Amino acid sequence: MHAIEIEQLTRVFDGRTAVENLSLQLAPGTVFGFLGPNGAGKTTTVRMLTALIAPTSGSATVAGHQLGREDTQIRAAVGVLTETPGMYDRLSARQNLVFFGRLYDLSAARAAQQTERYLRMLGLWERRDDIVGGFSKGMRQKLAIARALLHEPSIIFLDEPTAGLDPEAAKIVRDFVRELRAEGRTIFLTTHNLSEADELCDLIGVFRTRLLRLNTAAKLRAELFGQGTQVQLAEDATRWRELVAALPFAQGVSAQGHTLTVQLAAPDQQNPALIQALCAAGAPICYVEPLKYSLEDVYLQLIGDG
Amino acid sequence: MVSTMQKTLLIFQKEWLELRQQRGLLLSALFLPALLTLLPVVMITGARFLPQQQQDLDELGGLIAANTTLQGMSLPELGQAVAGLIGSSIFTLTPLLLPSILAAYSIVGEKANRTLEPILASPIKTWELLLGKSLASIAPSVVITWGCAVFFAIAVRTVALSPRVAQAIISPGWVALIVLCTPLMALITTAGMIIISSRVNDPRTAQQYSAVGVLPLMLLVFGQLGGLLVLNVGVALLAALALALLAALVTWLAVQLFQREVILTRWR
Repeated sequence: MHAIEIEQLTRVFDGRTAVENLSLQLAPGTVFGFLGPNGAGKTTTVRMLTALIAPTSGSATVAGHQLGREDTQIRAAVGVLTETPGMYDRLSARQNLVFFGRLYDLSAARAAQQTERYLRMLGLWERRDDIVGGFSKGMRQKLAIARALLHEPSIIFLDEPTAGLDPEAAKIVRDFVRELRAEGRTIFLTTHNLSEADELCDLIGVFRTRLLRLNTAAKLRAELFGQGTQVQLAEDATRWRELVAALPFAQGVSAQGHTLTVQLAAPDQQNPALIQALCAAGAPICYVEPLKYSLEDVYLQLIGDG
Repeated sequence: MVSTMQKTLLIFQKEWLELRQQRGLLLSALFLPALLTLLPVVMITGARFLPQQQQDLDELGGLIAANTTLQGMSLPELGQAVAGLIGSSIFTLTPLLLPSILAAYSIVGEKANRTLEPILASPIKTWELLLGKSLASIAPSVVITWGCAVFFAIAVRTVALSPRVAQAIISPGWVALIVLCTPLMALITTAGMIIISSRVNDPRTAQQYSAVGVLPLMLLVFGQLGGLLVLNVGVALLAALALALLAALVTWLAVQLFQREVILTRWR
């Protein structure tokens, strides 16, 4: 059974389509990166999947519960980190978490126990009785993450978990997401931080009103830019371009400065022959490395096309 | 499993925890009923020391003709009774203004602090949330108003020149009005504040809107003084009936607006 199964999900607001025919299946334990520009419909999607707003059409099953029919069960089964932490400033960290724990049907004793567990885990236990109004943005964010986990949900929606955090706080949050992944939880991560998505996610969905592409980051790179090898030479690479272009397996060659870029269908198999051919011709090779495209390149390409 | 009643009480308890931390709000919430209780008592006390003239009696002819409890009173008694009628009418502002302060911070404040979405994302039902929040504003308003009314009645008995002055001010009609209409007025104000919350982001602005509710109460004051209206049990029952209908309408509107979907997509 999938943790999340979405079929043709659509949401229209006053004639404007925010989400169009989204279909997606996430296996349990997947960390899914949901990427897209502002206003792409990401928050609307998360709100639909967390049973906060209803879809105009389509269907979804979240944690085994049917959206629209078992909304209360869906809300009880998932954890949500909303775009803004939304903590009660005049209550202490502990009062905030116990309150939300009780809202998620935990007994008073269990709510207190879980509050202590997560405050300790996120390094906030010493500040447990301080009012949240005096907390830094990073501390509030950690508290909001703790709130999303108090009832131990199997599916967690994280909307921009590291937005606006300093590098140290962002790293703590990322490490925490890794721990959650190691525990086998399904994570639906919305972020604008593409290197973070690249680092944390098993599956990436690039979205702008509709799903533009869905795959692992590596496969997205290969799909869009192909695979290949970069050869760094000790001299101008232009003079070696013709030689490489004549090789039967080279799909494309470009030379810029001292760098020769070769598109290959299967670099692992074809690299030895490529290097051998260059060495045999006396090319002064400094080093060879796989062709690297960042997730940002993929994202910009897709969003530009979309 | 946390029951519906427990969740409602949980919201109620959280509201009180928050209110306790807001000294300014707490003080203004307590100052207002204290003022609206003590001011009429001061007016009634002061009226016995003011010089009374036959001319005043002539001006109050309409009022005396309409309100039989005032007939046969001496000039000083009449002065106190009239001051008391104005004061007791002013007192009825308490169940209107007090919940407006509490509900404004409870609902508009929650919206302004962006704490509504995390609550709505939890498995609480919207009516449990609405009930908890409404109770947090209605229950203290009713208890404080009734408490102040008891204090007011005792104070009037103490400072009145005669028992009949006290009876004219603390009439069965006024008692019925306070007993029956206080919860209804608090409910209307709270529901009104929820409706206002859908359009307003600042608790103070929301409170200003609630001032519109003062106008019908001014009719009560001037209606009595002009002899057009005598507050008896029948009038209080009619007022309660009208308020009950209005409360039903306003609550229905508030419930329509207080839905997850509406709050997240329509509230501005």
